[in-house]
Order: sequence, then C-alpha cells, then structure tokens
Amino acid sequence: MVTFHTLDWIWVIAFLVLMIGAGALFVHLGRRSESDFFLAGRGLPWWLPASSVYATHTATDTPMWVTGVIYRYGLAGIWYTFFSAWCAISAFVSTRIFRRSLAYTQAEWNTLRFGGLGAELLRGWISGWQVFMNMFILGWVGMAMGKVCNYMFGWEIWIGLVVFSAVCAIYVLAAGYWGVVMADFQQGVIALAVILIVSFWGIGVAGGPAVIVEKLGDLGQSWRLNPFAFTGWWQGDFPVAWFITMLVIALLGGFGMGTSIDWYAEAQRIQSARTVRDASYSIWWGTALVLIRNSVWAAAVLAFFVMFPNITEAADYELGWFRLGFDYLPVGMVGFFFAAILAIHLSTISTHLNLGALYATRDLYHHYFRPQASQRELIWVGRMTTLILLLGSFLYGLMMEEITSWLIFALWIMAAGIWLPNILQVLWWRFNSWGYLASWIANLGLSWLVVWILPALGVIPDLQDYQQFWLLMILGAMVYLPVTFLTRPENMDHLVKYYVMSRPLGFWGPVKREAQLRGLLGKSTAPIAGVSKEG
Amino acid sequence: MSIIQRRWTPEQADEWTKEDWMAIVLSPLAYMLITVGVAMAIMLRPVGFILLVAGGVITVVMHLIIDPKLKVISAEYEKNQKRYLEELDRRVRWEKSA
Repeated sequence: MVTFHTLDWIWVIAFLVLMIGAGALFVHLGRRSESDFFLAGRGLPWWLPASSVYATHTATDTPMWVTGVIYRYGLAGIWYTFFSAWCAISAFVSTRIFRRSLAYTQAEWNTLRFGGLGAELLRGWISGWQVFMNMFILGWVGMAMGKVCNYMFGWEIWIGLVVFSAVCAIYVLAAGYWGVVMADFQQGVIALAVILIVSFWGIGVAGGPAVIVEKLGDLGQSWRLNPFAFTGWWQGDFPVAWFITMLVIALLGGFGMGTSIDWYAEAQRIQSARTVRDASYSIWWGTALVLIRNSVWAAAVLAFFVMFPNITEAADYELGWFRLGFDYLPVGMVGFFFAAILAIHLSTISTHLNLGALYATRDLYHHYFRPQASQRELIWVGRMTTLILLLGSFLYGLMMEEITSWLIFALWIMAAGIWLPNILQVLWWRFNSWGYLASWIANLGLSWLVVWILPALGVIPDLQDYQQFWLLMILGAMVYLPVTFLTRPENMDHLVKYYVMSRPLGFWGPVKREAQLRGLLGKSTAPIAGVSKEG
Repeated sequence: MSIIQRRWTPEQADEWTKEDWMAIVLSPLAYMLITVGVAMAIMLRPVGFILLVAGGVITVVMHLIIDPKLKVISAEYEKNQKRYLEELDRRVRWEKSA
C-alpha cells in the first residue's frame, strides 16, 4: 500500500479535471462529421499525431514489460522493445502510400487495393477482428490498471478497471478523436516528464551512473551494460538468431501494412495528419520518442538491479520501475507519479475506444448497414459503439486471467504467418484478395499445428518463437502463392485507379504502364477522371 | 549535378528515387544508434555519447535528403485530395463512379 497525502490527491484531481476539460473544449469540433469524430478532419500538424503515437504506446503495462526484459537480459533486452522500429521504414513507405489512399481504416484500404467479393470479405473480416482486438486490448490494459490500484490502495481489482476507463470514456464520447488526440498531447507531456523524473531519481538513489557501473562489476554482472550480450548464435533463450529475426520483422515490416498490431492505431494517426509529409514525420518522431523512452527506462532498471539484484520472480522484478517511484520519490510527488500513470493509462484507453468505434462505424455500419446514413447519425453510432466497447472491455478484463494465454496466442498467430502477405499486398501488383484471404485462413490452421498440435504429438520439437516465425512464413507461402497464381489478377481498372491515387513502391510495372497508356500519369491534376467504371 | 536532388517537380517527386532509398536505409540506422546511445550515455559510457551524436547527425542528414521531396509530394497531393475523398465517399455509399 502507498500512503497518499493531500497534495498527492490534489495532483490526481487536477489531472482528471484537465483531461475531461479537454474533451469538453473540443466537443463542437468532434461532432461536425464522421471525419472529425474519427480523424480530426484530417487537419493535424505532425507533432499532434506524433504525441498521440508516443502516448498511446506508453501503456500501464509497458514499464512492467520493459523492466522485465532489462532486468533479465541487461541492456541487450532493449532489443525486445525495438519491434516498434517498423516505423523507421514505414514512415517513408507504407505511411506515404496509406495516407495517399485516404482510407479511414486498414479494412477500407483493402477495398481500394483489391476489388470485388474478395475485397469485401477482407473488409468485413478485418473490421470485425479489429473491433474484437480493440475490446480485448481495452480489457487487458484496464486489468493492468486494476492491479496497479490494488497494489497502491488495496482496492478490489475491478474498481481500477472500471473507474478510470469510464472517466476516459467521457471525453472520448464527447469529442471523439479530437478529444483523444488533444488529451494525448497533454498526457504525453506529463508521462514523459514523469518517466524522466522517476528514472533519473532512481539512478540517483542507486548512487549515480558511475556507482551503478562499479556495482555491476562487483556483482560480476558487467555484461549487462553490453547491448549485444546474446546467449550465442543459436543456443540459449536470447540468441543472435532471435536478434536477426527481430530486425527482419521490425524493419522490413515497415514496407507493409499490418505487419505489427500497432499499425492499426498508427493508421488512424496517419490519416489524421494534414499532409503526407505530416503523416511521415508524425510516425517517425512519435516512434523515436518511444525508443528514447525505452532507453531511459532501461538505464533506470539497471539502477534497480544493483539495488535489488537477487529477485527471481518475474512478477516481483517487473514492478521495479514503479517501485523506484513509489518507494523513493519525496512526499507530494507520489501523487504526481500516480497522475502520470493515469496519463499513461487514459491515453491508451482513449485510443482503443475510438479506434474500435471507427471500425464498427465506418466499416460495418456505414459501409454495410446504412450507406446513406447522415453525418449526425454516424456520430451517434460512433458514440454508441464507443460505449459498447467500454462495457465489453469490462467483461474481457474481468475474465482476463483465464484467457490471457489463448489471447496471446491469438496475437502471435495474427502476426507470424501473415507478415509477408502484409508486405506483398503493398509491394506486388499481382497479389490478389484471394491470396491474401488464403494467407489469413492458412495461418490460422498452421499456427495451431506449429505452436500446439505437432509438438504435442512429437512430430516436431518445441520451437522457439523466432523458429516458429520462419516456419510459419514458409508454410503459409506454400498456400497463398499457389492460390494467388491460380486465381485471376485484380481488375486492371481497379488497380490503375489505386495506383494513380497511392503511387505504391515495388513491383507495379504492368499497372504503371497501363496508367501511362491511359494518360493518367504526369497529369497530376486529373488522375481519376479518365479511369473507366469497373466492370 | 549534385548527389542529392533538392528541387523537385511534382512528377519527379511522385516517383520512388534514390533519395527515398537513402531515407529507408538511414532511418533504421538512426533509430538503432539513438536507442543504444541514450541508454549507454545515461550510464556515462563514452561510446554511448558517440553513438548518440552519430544518431543525431544521421537524423539531420536523413531529413535534409527527404524533406524537399516530401514537401512537393504533399503540396501536389493536396490539390487532388478533395476529388479522391469524393470518390471514397461514393465507394462507401455503394454509388457508381462518375
């Protein structure tokens, strides 16, 4: 339990008033149109979505996760957090292509890139999956907040889960994405300030950098200062082979769309930026801040390690960074620290409430149920689906203990076998909707086989994560490549229209030549008009 | 002729050129150097400061290379955005293209 004084509560109340006030301030902008409620009218300068990228990806459980890998592997553990570097290439490739498409969501982009029944099946599947995933993430993150409140105040876990998500929903319901992004900016500033204060305070408590280095030497743990201290090329639980696989997944993944679960939140930020340039910089700088934050945390965790070097239970050492704050900050600052934890929490909750509602409203309701709906109706549907997501997340959160391992598996299978198809759909004109659908379906079955069934039957040994990734990629390709070549390419009219609008990178030669033949390239003021209707 | 093109026409900027590939290579490199550099610099490791400075320099160079092109792409694209949005609206409402 943590003792709160009057000043601590003043910090917390002031912060909550500030957050809800931000929603009230922007309610008029949020209710103007569907575009305003979900994309802030596509008019944001780069630094606003950048701060939202940073704030969203700083969740309540993030410091626990980073602390866990650094405590276990030293500075080399920082590469576990480097997956977010997919934005390094994405900022200049897939971000640019996606922003030019003007699709509200990744599901909508599928109907611009592909055509016909296959595209509609994809849109329905991806939007439904995203509604589910956002509700799941809301439950997961809400549960982490419940545990933090239980640790701090001894509250029942459901109280922390319900109260702060409900507070967050006030400004998301009122102002939509305008409320999300404006609150994210404030939350990002507060969270970054507190991360710096607590981390450097903790380093100071441990005696400062020089003392930490010296103590690591005394403990025979100097290897923890080496960011490349792997367990060998292939052997151990942290080999170079894992590192290379991570780099491939993270960096080359930036050529595609959906190669990371974070893409879907980033896609909304990309479309909310006012220009292609703003979109690129928002993703690049938001992620740069995430990586810098991880590095600051890593240094602080080394400080925690020299203070408590013998903790063996992950559940205990994962709280290390939080302990630096709660156990060592002076009186009055603990409330500020908790306010920052709230900032971290609310920024993630608000994003996923609005993002899940976006898929439900734009891709399901607007596209399939009520294509002629008015803007006013769409905003109300957005608000209703936000509320449904909130209530659903409470249910998910409360049953999370039982289903976590299954849902982590769900996250894994959504990433491994469709990683390459997610790139191919951007880079290769011949890849069609049936090939992409086949990759999703094949991946679902193959993942179960590779991860669970074949090892249980003794057909293959238990494989490490990175080995599963490569195997699933090869097996998946043996399904979706034949399907792609055995089915017809997308309609050329459709592809030309997409190409002229998005100007994708990669193997688009036949489509580009067709666009040139039709006189659609080089005449940038009239790219759409000459494209005939699809048959 | 300079190695890096600084002045672009809209048609040139729409193409994928060596400037894009330079940004694609430099960007992950900058991320890696900054990530390692920040952590090691906080620990007052001399190599950390060197990596951090290198990461900063590469970030600046990358922006100098790609920014003129991104500006032209953005300016040109904004002219077409309204028409593209109208097309998008027709699609979501299941209307035929004009």
